[in-house]
Amino acid sequence: MAVLQGIPQQNDTANPVRRFVAQALRNLSPTSTSILRAAIAGLRPRGHGFDQPIDEDVLAEIDRTIPCFPPLFRLGFWLGLRVLEWGPLVFTGRPTRLTRMGCDQATRYLDGWLRSRSALRRMLLFGVRTLVYLAFYQHPSVLHAMEVDWDRRMGETIRLRADTLDRETHADPR
Amino acid sequence: MPIPADLRERIPEYAIDYPNVESGRDARREAMLVADAIVVGSGAGGAVAAALLAEAGLEVLMIEEGSLEKTDSFSTDVPEMIRRLYRDAGATMILGRPGMIFAEGRCVGGSTVINGGMYWRAPDRILERWEREERLPAIGPGAMEPFFTEVERKAHPETNLPDTFGRHGVLFAEGAGKLGWNATPNLRNMRRCTGLNNCAFGCPTGAKQSMLVTYIPRALRAGARLLADARVSRIRFDNARAVGVRGCFVGANRRPTYGFSAYAPMVIVAAGARHTVGILKRSGLCGRWLGRNLTTHPNAKVVGIFDARLDAWRGAHQVYQIHDFLEQGILIGYAMIQPGLLAATLPGPIQANAELMSLYNHFLPVGCLIEDTGTGRVLLGPDGEPHMIYCLNRKDCATLHEGVAKTTELLFAAGARRVLLPFADLPEATSPDDVGRIRSRPPSPNGMELMTVHIMGSARMGVDARRGATDAFGRVFGVDGLYVADASLFPGPIGVNPQETIMALVARNTRRWIETDAQRLHRWRRGPLGAGHA
Repeated sequence: MAVLQGIPQQNDTANPVRRFVAQALRNLSPTSTSILRAAIAGLRPRGHGFDQPIDEDVLAEIDRTIPCFPPLFRLGFWLGLRVLEWGPLVFTGRPTRLTRMGCDQATRYLDGWLRSRSALRRMLLFGVRTLVYLAFYQHPSVLHAMEVDWDRRMGETIRLRADTLDRETHADPR
Repeated sequence: MPIPADLRERIPEYAIDYPNVESGRDARREAMLVADAIVVGSGAGGAVAAALLAEAGLEVLMIEEGSLEKTDSFSTDVPEMIRRLYRDAGATMILGRPGMIFAEGRCVGGSTVINGGMYWRAPDRILERWEREERLPAIGPGAMEPFFTEVERKAHPETNLPDTFGRHGVLFAEGAGKLGWNATPNLRNMRRCTGLNNCAFGCPTGAKQSMLVTYIPRALRAGARLLADARVSRIRFDNARAVGVRGCFVGANRRPTYGFSAYAPMVIVAAGARHTVGILKRSGLCGRWLGRNLTTHPNAKVVGIFDARLDAWRGAHQVYQIHDFLEQGILIGYAMIQPGLLAATLPGPIQANAELMSLYNHFLPVGCLIEDTGTGRVLLGPDGEPHMIYCLNRKDCATLHEGVAKTTELLFAAGARRVLLPFADLPEATSPDDVGRIRSRPPSPNGMELMTVHIMGSARMGVDARRGATDAFGRVFGVDGLYVADASLFPGPIGVNPQETIMALVARNTRRWIETDAQRLHRWRRGPLGAGHA
């Protein structure tokens, strides 16, 4: 399978954080995990204040979400990840696969899926991208960088409502 | 974020007691239950039916697939709340041209826990049409008035106070004003909303008066029992009579565990326009109208980008709507969407997403919803689950284009610098002159990005079995003791948010069932199961 060797993949087990996350991931198989990790690297926002090193958190969040999907969707997701992995060979004939690509190359490749004429390919990438963006942009460190603090606002609005209800009760003791 | 103890005591919704609730997660063996009435689903339809039946003295068993998630457990952790409150983690698709994302709740309270709480009566012209053209009795505006009033008393619709509007709400109204349109203050079922704008992920302030804090506690206080984390798979029949349901408990990982059976002379299915059909079809029912006539209120999102910072996440959800174009089938409203959800729907290549999202605090997302004229279907898939198929017709496509054009006009009038559009081939408008390009785009569904949260009509009412799946009061044709109580009943789309209409319609029907079906209940109570139960 020498023709499929592109950029060497990083050794997952060498990095203790990755090893820990891989152990913690209970719903994705090792193959799915590595494909998804490559997809996250290609899809995740970069620049403009979005360089937080949270890919593993994103992966863990997606892993927690998988069991909530209906069985047919889980099967489709499993299958879709493999199509995504072997897509370069299948659709473009390039002797590589997603997990062997560098970040920029993966981004260009995935962007091609987004512009694909096939609705199925677009839909698959839309699904993966939604999962990645949901986990990425809702990460506390990203929200902090965006100066969005919904959590603090929750405390403020609960207190404000309690005060308002108190005032109304005192104004109308019935 | 943990809620401080002093606040916990001052918010009445935190103190609501939920007696008679059991979770399927605690089940350790198969179970058999008996009641006078079984209500499948606890959303806008199921909760109202359960409360009214329980108050009429019936022993009611509510069965809900989702979990009981109490108000004080809600948070702003969006991925976590989606997993807990949404069916399929929000990943439901309506297949067709174009594919549409559909989101619905799966928790005690159903979609009322995750909606914006918009609380509007069906327009008179819709009710008149149902009465005149569909020949449905007692459903005109006059006949429905007492039922609307009844559900409004409990759900408490009110408008937001100005200090909760947020800058974006003011801008939206200003934009409408410049075009000579009326920004109608939005009625929402809430009590003193303070504008957290977390409605779609459960209201942690307790302001939203969803079924979770209104009709469900009312039903439980009246003696109803609630079985959460229990999925009904099919109806049990005795000849042409519904006598109960069969299903399974759901474990902590959402996987089925033990089976259960429940028996009652009244079985009310209120699982939403998709799963009500799924349950009935899995049970072997195959009426002509069952699963047909699906309408969806397709919804297109348009995002205005302003020079000034709006911080649209500070301020209430959809304080205003534009009702000026309801006659044309167009409803315009705005809602700030959490970054993680908004990002995935933005147009443009992957590389451009970060740049766009860096402007998040300058965004004002506005949506236009249309009263669709086309219909789709709910079919059972090879996995035994109901799947929806819906293709946008040419007329609806044109209406959506007009809605997007009007929304874009509004955003430019409000001062937007750029507007992101829901078309792959026309992703952005940079000046008001571009509105013409939207109107001249061929009305093709290809490349349109749509979503919906309103599905209805899949088990529609009709005067006979040739015109509907149920009669004019929700009784399923051909089966004694089987009723439908959700938006499936609507003969067509209503063009506004459907929650109040579902509740009022179910209140109307339930009162009729109590009046007319008491004889069957009387016979049941004298029978072997009923006697033991009583």
